[in-house]
Amino acid sequence: MASRGFQNLGEATEAALIIAAQARNQAAFGELVKRRQGWARALLRRMCQSHAEADDLAQEAFIKAWDKMGDLETPAAFPGWFRRIAVTTFLMAKRRQKAVFEEIDDASPIASEESTPEAAAGAKIDLEKALARLSDAERLCVTLNHGEGLSHAEIVEITGLPLGTVKSHVLRGTEKLRRLLEPQ
Amino acid sequence: MTDFDALLKRSFAEAHEPVDDGFTVKIGQAVSRRENAVKLRNLAQTIGLAAAGAALVYGGATFYGAFGQEAMATAGLEVARAHGALSATPSFGVAAQSVLQSLGTGMTQIILMTAAALAGGAVVYRTTQE
Repeated sequence: MASRGFQNLGEATEAALIIAAQARNQAAFGELVKRRQGWARALLRRMCQSHAEADDLAQEAFIKAWDKMGDLETPAAFPGWFRRIAVTTFLMAKRRQKAVFEEIDDASPIASEESTPEAAAGAKIDLEKALARLSDAERLCVTLNHGEGLSHAEIVEITGLPLGTVKSHVLRGTEKLRRLLEPQ
Repeated sequence: MTDFDALLKRSFAEAHEPVDDGFTVKIGQAVSRRENAVKLRNLAQTIGLAAAGAALVYGGATFYGAFGQEAMATAGLEVARAHGALSATPSFGVAAQSVLQSLGTGMTQIILMTAAALAGGAVVYRTTQE
């Protein structure tokens, strides 16, 4: 990829890279991907069950971002704009897999989490393993709320889930994580 | 915010991010392929439009070759008749009558075509309004 317009891509500001990428500069977009890939992949890995699936979705999200760069109004809006693309990509993939997000299984036994081998052994469970114990919807809502700092209303806007459902998923997911992560 | 919420936020913030294990290169290649595909599609569209334009010009030229001379001759004859009627007649009433007759002969087709165009336009307008 040519890096025309930049003396040193590594020293360019993110805003400059975004503006250049909007002008279809592939090298600038490549540098942007390089800087943001860790965050994007970590975000999707927290939402997905498998790393391979998360990386595929991250790739899909970056390519969508390249196609839609012209829609981005200001460089400062890039993180939120890209997060929305990533979440939409994730939700579309789940829809393809016929996953159901709206339903909450009220009978799901949170209390039984204590009887897991990890809890029983008092072992420290890392965040990723703990997140894997949540349902897809809980993981999504908890990641966006606690990981990305979005409010319930912002999660509603980005996912299209009803407010009550989002609140329930955050509450139940957080409670499950508390049981899994807090020292016994 | 509870202590656990704060702990959770910190855990998210401190969680490691995956290293770039060729991910960026893969995206770069995918973007390159995509751009090449877009260029090819644009080229195909340009070629298609050029071919369509050439076909139109060729069709128009063929049509003119078949009917153009006759149309021009008819138009010239009508102009000559009108001019002759105007210059040869002694009185205004006769001249006007002759002009009207002359125009009337050739204008029939034009009026019919104009009426058809207006009717077509009205239909199109009605369709777009609906």
